[in-house]
Amino acid sequence: MAHKWGMVVDLDRCTGCEACVVACHAENNIPTAGEDQAARGRAKHWIRVERYWEGDFPNPRVRFQPVLCQQCDEAPCEPVCPTYASYHTPEGLNSQVYNRCIGTRFCANACPYNVRFFNFYNPEWDKPLQLQLNPDVSVRSVGVMEKCTFCVQRIKAAEIQAEAEKRELKDGEFTTACAQSCPSKALIFGDLNDSASEVARLASSNRGTKLLGELGTKPNVTYLERGTWEDANHG
Amino acid sequence: MERRDFIKISALSGVMATLEGCRSAEKQLIRFVPEEELIPGIATIKPSVCTVCSAGCGLLVRVMQGEAEVVRHGQQGLIKMGLAKKLEGNPQHPVNQGKLCARGQASLQLLYHPDRITHPIKRIGPRGSGEFQAISWDDALKEVSAHLGTLQASGSANSLAFLSRPLSGQRGELITKFLKTYGAPPPGWYQPFDEAVLRQANLLSFGHAALPTFDLASADYVICFGADFLGTWNSPVAQSIGYGEMRQGRPGRRAKLVQIEARMSQTGANADEWIACRPGMEGVLALGIAHIILAEKLAPQGAGSRPGPLIAGWQEGLPGYAPEAVEKQTGVSAVVIKRLAHELTQSGSAVAMIGGPPLAHTNGLFNALAVNALESLVDKQSVLSFTPQVGDAAPVQASLAALHGLSAQPPQMLLLYEANPVFSAPPSARVREALAKIPYIVSFGSFIDETSAQADLILPDHAALESWVDNVAESGSSRAVASLAPPAVLPLHDTRPMADVLLGLGRQLGGEVAKALPWATYDAMLRAAFVPLRTRPGSIDVKTDDDFWDAAQTQGGWWSSTSTTPPGAAVKRAPLSAASPEFAGAAADFPFYFLPYVSQSFGDGSLAHLPWLQELPDVLTSAMWSSWVEINPKTGDRLGIKQGDLVEIASQQGTVRAAAVLSPGIAPDMVAMPVGQGHENFTRFASGRGANPLSILAPLTEQETGSLAWAATRVKIARAGGPEQARLVLFAGGMSGFPHEEQPR
Amino acid sequence: MQTTAEQIEQDLLRPLFHSSGKYWIAVAIATSLLLAGVAAFGYQLYAGIGVWGLNSPVFWAFDITNFVFWIGISHAGTLISAILRLTNATWRRPVTRCAEAITVFSVLIGAIIPLCHIGRPWLAYWMIPYPSERHIWPNFRSPLAWDFFAISTYLTGSTTFLYLPTIPDFAAVRDVSTGLRKKIYRVLALGWQGTPRQWQRLEVAMHIMAVVIVPVAVSVHTIVSWDFAMTLVPMWHSSIFGPYFVAGAIFSGIAALILAMALLRKFLHLEQYLRPIHFENLGKLLLTMSLLWFYFTFAERLTAWYGNSPPEMAVFWESIRKNFAPLFWTMVVCNFIIPVPILAIKRLRTITGTAIASATVVVGMWLERFLIVVPALEHKFLPYSWGTYRPTWVEDTLMASSFGMMALLYLLFSKFVPMISIWEMKVGLQSHAGVPMVAPAEGQVALEGPQ
Repeated sequence: MAHKWGMVVDLDRCTGCEACVVACHAENNIPTAGEDQAARGRAKHWIRVERYWEGDFPNPRVRFQPVLCQQCDEAPCEPVCPTYASYHTPEGLNSQVYNRCIGTRFCANACPYNVRFFNFYNPEWDKPLQLQLNPDVSVRSVGVMEKCTFCVQRIKAAEIQAEAEKRELKDGEFTTACAQSCPSKALIFGDLNDSASEVARLASSNRGTKLLGELGTKPNVTYLERGTWEDANHG
Repeated sequence: MERRDFIKISALSGVMATLEGCRSAEKQLIRFVPEEELIPGIATIKPSVCTVCSAGCGLLVRVMQGEAEVVRHGQQGLIKMGLAKKLEGNPQHPVNQGKLCARGQASLQLLYHPDRITHPIKRIGPRGSGEFQAISWDDALKEVSAHLGTLQASGSANSLAFLSRPLSGQRGELITKFLKTYGAPPPGWYQPFDEAVLRQANLLSFGHAALPTFDLASADYVICFGADFLGTWNSPVAQSIGYGEMRQGRPGRRAKLVQIEARMSQTGANADEWIACRPGMEGVLALGIAHIILAEKLAPQGAGSRPGPLIAGWQEGLPGYAPEAVEKQTGVSAVVIKRLAHELTQSGSAVAMIGGPPLAHTNGLFNALAVNALESLVDKQSVLSFTPQVGDAAPVQASLAALHGLSAQPPQMLLLYEANPVFSAPPSARVREALAKIPYIVSFGSFIDETSAQADLILPDHAALESWVDNVAESGSSRAVASLAPPAVLPLHDTRPMADVLLGLGRQLGGEVAKALPWATYDAMLRAAFVPLRTRPGSIDVKTDDDFWDAAQTQGGWWSSTSTTPPGAAVKRAPLSAASPEFAGAAADFPFYFLPYVSQSFGDGSLAHLPWLQELPDVLTSAMWSSWVEINPKTGDRLGIKQGDLVEIASQQGTVRAAAVLSPGIAPDMVAMPVGQGHENFTRFASGRGANPLSILAPLTEQETGSLAWAATRVKIARAGGPEQARLVLFAGGMSGFPHEEQPR
Repeated sequence: MQTTAEQIEQDLLRPLFHSSGKYWIAVAIATSLLLAGVAAFGYQLYAGIGVWGLNSPVFWAFDITNFVFWIGISHAGTLISAILRLTNATWRRPVTRCAEAITVFSVLIGAIIPLCHIGRPWLAYWMIPYPSERHIWPNFRSPLAWDFFAISTYLTGSTTFLYLPTIPDFAAVRDVSTGLRKKIYRVLALGWQGTPRQWQRLEVAMHIMAVVIVPVAVSVHTIVSWDFAMTLVPMWHSSIFGPYFVAGAIFSGIAALILAMALLRKFLHLEQYLRPIHFENLGKLLLTMSLLWFYFTFAERLTAWYGNSPPEMAVFWESIRKNFAPLFWTMVVCNFIIPVPILAIKRLRTITGTAIASATVVVGMWLERFLIVVPALEHKFLPYSWGTYRPTWVEDTLMASSFGMMALLYLLFSKFVPMISIWEMKVGLQSHAGVPMVAPAEGQVALEGPQ
C-alpha cells in the first residue's frame, strides 16, 4: 500500500519550547529575515507555536498550538495555483514545486492556516553561515512560495534506501526534523496507512481533532487535545 | 590525519598555489588539497556534546562535504571539507535521549558565525576601542609565555587569575591543575543565574551539593515553585522528556502540574493550575502546605524527618504556618493551600521542586530548604534524586566572589574564557573598573563581546564542534554520565583549542606545571581520565583501554549502569527561621518588583548573537529581535501604557528602556524583562539591540550563600514614547509600529 | 448654429491636427508618471518584490486592488456602447468611442498589472496554454487561469469592438491627410470606401460584437471576483461576489466615463457634441448603479452580521468600526452619500454635478476594492497569525503610474483617432440638431459617409 504521510501533535505534551522551530530552520535552509524584514511581517517560520491567552491575572491560561502545513487532502491551496506549483503527491503530501512557482501568491491567500511563506527577496546568508546549508534541500529564490514539506528530503532518502535494500520502510526509521528534536515527543510523524505505526494509532485517538476541520480541508495533521485535571475550582 | 601531515600538505599546496597564482593573471581563489576523505553527498554522523548550557546533552552532528573559503598560511583559498549541517540529540545519551532544545539546535551557528574571531589578535588602540591587529600564533604564544614566566619568576604567581563560566569535566580539571601548580589562586567561576543557593540547600537537606534530577515520567503530581524546568532551568531537555511521559506516556494515568510563581513562565503556561504567589514568599507557602500535611497526618510516619528539622518549628508542627497566616503573607488563599496539601498526599507519586526566582531573594536558602522539606514529606517514590558522580570532584559552581576578588585585589594578569561579566554581572560588581586595573588581559573567546573587548590579546578558541569536548552531567540522568567527543569537523579558521594552548603554555613553563600536565594535546589528557572508567560497570564493555577509548568516542561518552542516587542524610545544623525577603528600593518610590528572567531564546544572554535565536519568536509574547518588559494590562491602563509603547524602567542602580508587552500572566505589581539583549558589543546580530535588565540589578545577596539576589530589585516605570520609538517586533499581530489594537488573544 | 456634416468633420478632426500647449503639458505629466512607474518596476525586478509592503498574511494588497479597479473601469465601454447600441438608444452616439477607448486601455492596464505583481514575471508565459516540452499545462481549475482567458478574450474583443467603428473615421482622416499621415491612416482604414456592401458588413460585425461583448464583460468581472470568492477567506467566500463586482464595475466604469467626457468636452471644445443631455442620461445610470451598489453592499454586510460567524465578524468589525473604519465610511460617503443627492435632484444633475459625483465614485470604488482585499487577508482564521499592511512608495508610484498610463494612452488616442465617431454623428444629423434619431433599422443601409 502506498504511504500516506501524516503527523500527530499532542497538545498535552507540547511545552512551547520551540525546539521544532529552530530544527526546521536548520534542516530546510530557511533564510533568516533579519530585524527590518521581521518587523514588516516577513519572518518565515514553517512551523510556529501559536499561543492564546484566556482569562486574566490571577487566573490566566495559555494554550500552545504548533501550526505547520497540514498537508490537506482537500487543500485549498492546490486548485488556485495557475501553474500547478502547489500539487498533491501520491503519498499525500502537498508539494510546493519551486521551479514551477511564478509567485502569484494565490495559494498563500487561500490557505486558512497561514502556513505558506513567500520569498520577497533573494535569500542571503552572511558568510560563512551558508556552509551550514543542507545540500538535500533547495534554496528558494526570490518570487517563490515555500512551506513545510514534512521534510520530504528525508522521506525520499529513506524510501530510496529501503528500495535499495529491497525492504519495507519501518515505522520510526526516520522522522521530520521537528519531531526528531521535540523533547516531550509532542510531534509524531509517520505513515498513516501503516496501521501498526504510532502516528496511525494516535491519529485515531478520541482526543483527536483537526485544526479548522469544519472548513473541509481534511488535514493530515491530527491534534490531540490538551488534557485537563478535573475542573480546578479554587475553593 | 596527523597535524604534521596536514602542515606538510598544506604547505605543499600553498607553494603550488602560489606558483599557480604567479601564472594566472586574474585573482582566482586557489584550491587547497582536502585534509580529509569524504564522499560528496553522503553524510557522516558524528557524536558531540552540547556546551551551550550546563545540562550537557549528547549530540549527533551531520557532516557532509562542502566547499569553504578559508585562509591557510595567509593565503585565501577554497577547500573541500566536512561541514556540519545539522545537530540532533544522541539517542543513546542518557540525559537527552535523542532530543534537543531550541538553543542546542541553534548552537550550530556558533561554528559558522560571520563574526567569529578567525586568528589571534593583539590590541593596538586603547582598551575597549576595538582596534586589534592580527598576530601570529607563534608571536602571541611567545608573548603570553613571557608574561607567565615573568610573573612566576618575580614571585607574583599568585597574581594570575583565570575567569570562566563553570566548567565540568576535564576542562575544569585542566584549568584548576594549571593554576594550582603555577601557584595561582583557584579559577574564578562566574555565570549569571547559577544555582549556588539550590546546591547549598540540597547539601543541607539531602547531603548532595548538586542540582536535582527528577524522574518525572514516574510522577503523578508535580508542584513546582518558580522553576522554568521545561524551558531553561537545570536540565530542560531531560525534564521535558519526563514531562511528556508524565502527561501522555502512561495510558490511564496523567500527572498534574501545579506551578507557583508571580510571572507566568513557559513552564507555567503548561500547568494545570497556576498559582500566583508573592515574590520571596514561596518558602512560606510550601511550609503552609507542610503544616496541613503534618497537622492532619496526611503523610506516612517519619516522612520528611530528615530535611524537615532544618526549618525552625518543624518538630512542633510548624505552628507559625497556619493557612490563614500563610494566606496573609503569600496572597494564596487558605482554601487552596489546604486543597494542595490533600492533593499532594493523595496522589500516587508526588514531587516538589524549586528553582529560579524564589532562590534569587535574600531569603532564597530558606525558600529552598522549605520546599526541600515539603518534597521529602510528599515524595514517596524518589521522583527527586541525584545523578551519580563520575569522579570525586563536586560540581563546580559560580559565585560573585570571583568578581569581587578581581575588584578587591586586581591581579597582574587575567585569563578570560567563556564569561562575559561586563555584560552579565550586576553594576555593583564594578567589573569594567576592575578590568581597567589589570595590566594584562588575555581572552580565549571566539567572539568580541563586552568583556573580551577589554582584552589585550585574544587567542581564539575552536568552536565546540571543532574541539575535543567533554562534560560530566550534574543532573538530568539516573546514571553517571561522562560525555566525550572528538572534533566533528576540522577547524575552519586559524584558531586553536584553549585546552591545547594551555597545555602548551604549561610545557613552556616547565617545572611543576609541566609535570602535572604532561600531555601534548587535550585528547591525551582526556584519554588518561576516561580510561579508568573501563572497569566500572557501564555502557562500554571491552577488554582493552584502547578499545574503551575508541568506543567512548564513538558512543559520545560513557555512562554508568547503576542508577539513582537517592537523597542522602541531612546535615545537622541550627534550624533556619523564616526571613522576609528584602528588596532594594522603598516600595513607595519603586512600586514594582523587577524580574529579569532567563530567556528561552538567549539563555543567560550568551546566545544573543545567533540569528536563529534572535528571530525565534518568544513563545509567550511572540517577540523577535527585541527587548521588552511584561506589564499587567491593568497596570498598563493605570499608567497609560499601551501595547508596544516605549517604557522606562528605573531602579536605584540605573535605568533601561524597552517596549511594553501587556501580559495577563504577571502580577499587577511586578514587571519582567528577558535577559539577553542590550549588548553594546556582541557581533552584528546582537550589538546595540534592546536593553539589558541585568544592568540595573541591586547588589542584594542571599543571606547565607552570598549569591546574587537577582529577583530582589524594585523599580518604577513610566511611559517614555510610542510604538514607533519602541519598535517592538512581534511575530503575531502585525507589523512593528502598526500592530493590531489589541494583541490577538 | 446649424451643425452640418462638414462642421462635424471639422470639429472632430481638429484635435488630430492641432494641439494646444495644454495638451503637451498633459502628455508630459502623464509620460513622467508612466516612466516613474517603469523605473519603480525596474527597481522591483532588481531588488525583489519585497520593496512592496506585502507580507505574511497580506500577500495581495495594492496590486490586486488596482487590478480589479482597472478591470472594473473597463465596464464603461461595454455597457454604454454595446447595450445602448443593442437597445438603439441614439443619445449614445457621441459617447460610444470615448467609452470603448476607456475599456480597451483600462483592460490593457488591468492585464499588465498581474504581470508586474507576480514573483517571477519573466515566467508569466506559463499561464499561456501551449504544448510545453514539460508536458504540463496551466491549471485550468485556478481562477487566475480563468482570469487569463477572460481578460485576453475581453481585451481582444473590446479592441475589435473599438476598432470596427473607427474604420470609417480612419478613412475620413486618410482622405484629408497627406504624406506619412496619409500612409498610416490608409493602412488603418483597411481600404474603406464607404460602399453599401462595406457598410452592411460593418453593421453586421458591430452587431455581433455588441451581442458577444456583453456576456464577455459580465463573465470577466465575475471571474475576477472569483479570485476572491473561490477561497475560504472569511468575507471573501460569498456567492454575492459575482453580481456585486459586475455591478460595482459598471458603477465605476460609468463614473470614469463621465469624468473622461467632462474633460474631453472642456479641453477639445466638444461642447456641441457632448451636451448636458448626455451627462444627464449617464448621470441617471450612475444613480441607478449607486443605488444598486448600496443594495449589494448592505445585503452582504447584513447577512454577515446576522450570521455572526466569528471569523467573518472579525473582518466585519475591522471595516465597520476598527482600523479600517475611516476608509470604510469614506467609501460610503463617496459612493452613496455624495452622489445620490447630486444625481437624483435634477437641478444638481449638471455636467459639473455629475462630474463631481463621478470623481467621488471613482475614489470610493477604489476604496471598496481595497477594503475587500486587505481587511480579510489581515484577519483569517487563526488570530495568532493576523497581520497588518502598509503600502510602500513603490506601490504608490506604480499605482500613480497606472493612472499616468491611462491618461497618456487616452491623450494619444485623442491625437490619433477622433474621440467622437464622425460617421455616427452624421447619421444622427438626419434629425433636428440635438435630438437623437432612430438608428438605421437592421438590414437598411445608411448612405451617409464621407463624400
